[in-house]
Amino acid sequence: MSVEQETFVDRYPQEAELVRRAFLVAFTALGLGALFGIIQALHRTNVLRFIPSTDYYTVLTAHGVLMVIVFTIFYLVGLYQWAITRSLDRSPTNINFTRAWLTLMTVGSALTGITILLGFVDQVGISADVLFTFYAPLQAHPLFYTGLVVFIIGTWLAGVDWFRTWLHWKQDNPDERIPLQTFMVLTSMIMWYVATIGVAVATLFFLLPWSLGFIETVNPLLTRTLFWFFGHPVVYFWLLPAYMLWYTVLPKLAGGRLFSDPLARVVFVLFVLLSTPVGIHHQYVDPGIAEGFKFIAMTNTMFLLLPSLLTAFTVVASMEHGARQRGGEGLFGWLTVLPWRDPAFTGMALAGLMFAAGGFSGMINAGMNINYLIHNTIWVPGHFHLTVGTAVALTFMAGTYWLWPQLTNRRIYSRPIGLLQVVMWFGGMALMSNSMHVAGLYGVPRRTAEPEYAGFDFNTAFGSISELNIQLAVGGTLLFVSTLLFLGNLGLSMGNPKVEGLGQSLPEPLSGASDSPRVLDNMKLWAGIALLLVALAYVLPLGAIIQNGGLFGMGGDAYPVSVLGAFDGLDAVRELLGVVR
Amino acid sequence: MSRGVPAVEDEEEVAEGEQSVSAPVTQEEPERKLTHEEFDPKGTLALILTYFAVLAVMWVFMYFVEFLGNDLIVVG
Repeated sequence: MSVEQETFVDRYPQEAELVRRAFLVAFTALGLGALFGIIQALHRTNVLRFIPSTDYYTVLTAHGVLMVIVFTIFYLVGLYQWAITRSLDRSPTNINFTRAWLTLMTVGSALTGITILLGFVDQVGISADVLFTFYAPLQAHPLFYTGLVVFIIGTWLAGVDWFRTWLHWKQDNPDERIPLQTFMVLTSMIMWYVATIGVAVATLFFLLPWSLGFIETVNPLLTRTLFWFFGHPVVYFWLLPAYMLWYTVLPKLAGGRLFSDPLARVVFVLFVLLSTPVGIHHQYVDPGIAEGFKFIAMTNTMFLLLPSLLTAFTVVASMEHGARQRGGEGLFGWLTVLPWRDPAFTGMALAGLMFAAGGFSGMINAGMNINYLIHNTIWVPGHFHLTVGTAVALTFMAGTYWLWPQLTNRRIYSRPIGLLQVVMWFGGMALMSNSMHVAGLYGVPRRTAEPEYAGFDFNTAFGSISELNIQLAVGGTLLFVSTLLFLGNLGLSMGNPKVEGLGQSLPEPLSGASDSPRVLDNMKLWAGIALLLVALAYVLPLGAIIQNGGLFGMGGDAYPVSVLGAFDGLDAVRELLGVVR
Repeated sequence: MSRGVPAVEDEEEVAEGEQSVSAPVTQEEPERKLTHEEFDPKGTLALILTYFAVLAVMWVFMYFVEFLGNDLIVVG
């Protein structure tokens, strides 16, 4: 018997509107990002070329930034706003503040996004073809960095908003444990505050003043290290909302209950502690960082496998609980009674499966010696298309099929299309990512429109490069079609009539919060230890980098991917502001 | 009718029998309830052991793919 209850939008109409608004930005970025993705897949593999190779970096920058900054983080803030509101059963302290940070994030993203896209229009003279990693000496137009700063300030204020809501809730409920979803939101934000120290310092003190012409040079190794200080924990910032869906929604979809609330809390605490002091593992081939520091980063990274393996156990056990309640029998037979016709379930389960494969290639990346074999090859994009590109993106899309009706009181337009969409994503990614991994082992480079120079042939152990290219192009095309199906299905849902009875509850965990020590809820303690670990991992290497290369580097020119070679940066900003006024 | 949107931690009874809003309407409800004591995740153990076995095989495979054809890279 189903119990009819209010939906989220019935109970919190203003908050639901903000969640929908965040999702709208996220899905706009997803659509644009997918377009740039298919252009790259077809261009690189020489299947279909309709942009000049010189525009490739504009496409690549737009794909990267739109997908992994705008899509993921706007989905995160939407999901987290939903989660904290429903799990505390409480509105934000001041909803105008919530509107303000969402607007700030949107304005920042638009600034950065437009600056990147202007790279297609040579006449304007503004560009930011610096890729998602924006390594100096590649230099973007100041608006690129300005937008990024505005966006990050928006996310910081989102965290302030959520902490404030929780503190007010705590005043009313002094003896209660933090509800699990709120716990996940708060720990994610502690991690984010620690992580963004790196990118804030790199952007505000070095890259932005440098692009404006206030300082002549920067120390590229310093800004690069500060980027990876942020660049690794950001991958967990993408992942943790997916984990939230796996831990709190997937068991419900499976027909069971979360196996263990305490284990979920431990996992999120481990991410707070371990996700930041590992960034140097992205810099194994950077000269200027001592091998010892790289070794420490590798050791810390291997510890990060622990929360992911804990998650594999807890989430699969929760699914199995659902299957057993559905009458599933046998060692593997229970898998057949899971609700595979529910696109939300199937999407999340397939995303989790692909994450397991991504775990393997991640271990290769993280190993200091083996990393040399695949560094800067297309293996690495192959890896992160399994993790952020599937574990995260597919979970977000699948979660939307479940969450959207509760935000709109409208059913999804077509469940079968949803099912086809998630399976198509899985199949497309299996092809594309497999071909990228294999090509990477043959030494095919990443980040280039022309992976094979004239007169040079890659030495393949089996198959051929053209076979891999076809596999990559077919996979990329399937992913693009899958994105269109997702966006189309969601868009058509808005034409469905509003109905009642779409409200959903989430089941209580088998082992509840009361089974875990209260110290897990001590946010100050975890934030303090996290900062200490970061200091231990970064003070010495950063000190050495500054000592060897100087705070502002030792000279050299900016690489001309910006207008600044043509005219003064400040004038450019003034001119642009003048136009806006 | 439940009051609003409950936290994960409470109102277990509301969740009982409630179907996922994204599932087909014909989807069958769970046929039994299993408590923490009655549930033994043997299937999960089997799957995770399978995953570890796959990982081990992949590591061995990597040795053949990478090291046999190439010179060793020595750190330091």
